[in-house]
Amino acid sequence: MAFLTEDQFTALQLLLKAPSKDVVRQICADSFPAGASKRQSVIEKTANSLSVSSSEAVQLLTAFHTVSHEVVYQNLTSPEQILSIFPESFHSNLKNLITKILLENSVTWRNDALSNQISLPKLVDMEWRVDMKTASDSLSRMAVPTCLLQMKLQDTPCISGGPSESTITMELSRETLDTMIDGLGRIRDQLTAVARK
Amino acid sequence: MLQLHFTNDTLPDNVSTDFQNLNKFSEQQFVSLTEILYQFLLEPKESERFLHQLTEFAGENGMSAGPLRALMKSVLLLPHGALKRNLTAEQVKVDLLSLGLNEEKASHFSDQWRVHYPVLSRLAVGQTLMVNQLVDMEWKFGVTVGTSELQKTGNIFLQLKLVIRKGNTTENVYMELTLPQFYNFLHEMERAKASMDCFS
Repeated sequence: MAFLTEDQFTALQLLLKAPSKDVVRQICADSFPAGASKRQSVIEKTANSLSVSSSEAVQLLTAFHTVSHEVVYQNLTSPEQILSIFPESFHSNLKNLITKILLENSVTWRNDALSNQISLPKLVDMEWRVDMKTASDSLSRMAVPTCLLQMKLQDTPCISGGPSESTITMELSRETLDTMIDGLGRIRDQLTAVARK
Repeated sequence: MLQLHFTNDTLPDNVSTDFQNLNKFSEQQFVSLTEILYQFLLEPKESERFLHQLTEFAGENGMSAGPLRALMKSVLLLPHGALKRNLTAEQVKVDLLSLGLNEEKASHFSDQWRVHYPVLSRLAVGQTLMVNQLVDMEWKFGVTVGTSELQKTGNIFLQLKLVIRKGNTTENVYMELTLPQFYNFLHEMERAKASMDCFS
């Protein structure tokens, strides 16, 4: 299974020009986010730290981006699995260093991917309050409890743009709250049943 | 001026006359009319049915529908005011007597009031203003099998759809919760319910 083309492996070997291991680490970290290889600031930083041209920096960033994303996608967790990606002719020390960096970061990258995946707006916060209604235009004296619920939702687009937050406030009568808790209880029972399997 | 429990306003003359005219009905007729009236109070949306029943009653008893409808419109003022002011059956009877209704009919009407009052007041509570009322909740939960970034995962997700009444229309709110969030949500809702139960 060939992750990268020969040219891309060649581009990776540009990392040999790095003055230190930390520089390699930095470039690897910079190349991971989506669209990194197109961002001018990242390209310049990489080109400067390795003393290579912009186009070479772009090739390197793209190559590393592809490798790291494939490792995360396939969930390669052992050194042997990652080492086997590289061709025989690849510089041995660099191969080990890259493998080490990929292993160090893949858990974080995987968790980030999980939390940033496509989803409906996520619940980020909720608050409730119980009020007592004492009068209305239909009844001049009453004592009816009611629940107010506020939920904050955050919608993070996967592709571009920043997160957008929305707040929804709603009112629940006692019956509605009871029904809702029944429904939630049923979800809990089903979750327990699934977990047991 | 008449001191009435069910209203502070001065009643127009025709209303007092209408109540006194109720005395002209026989016992049987008054019982039927009272039943029609309470049926309407218990199902206030059925105004078509109410008018239809009045027209039928008028036909069966040899009177014109128009004046009967006007009469009932006046009579309705009393239960509406009484409900608003949480009047007891005794207070309703006193008001009817003050308006000139005879003892037998006043007793019957106020007895019916006693019988139907719990349901009527629950209806009134239901008609009280609610802001963004939650009317429905749908849910599904499942497992994310893979994404474009991760070939294999086994993440559980829970999706909720809440239907909220905003004025005349409803709005759907969709959201996703993680498992810990779900358990927290359930816990908080149970706390809210416990708080509400303190008041019962």
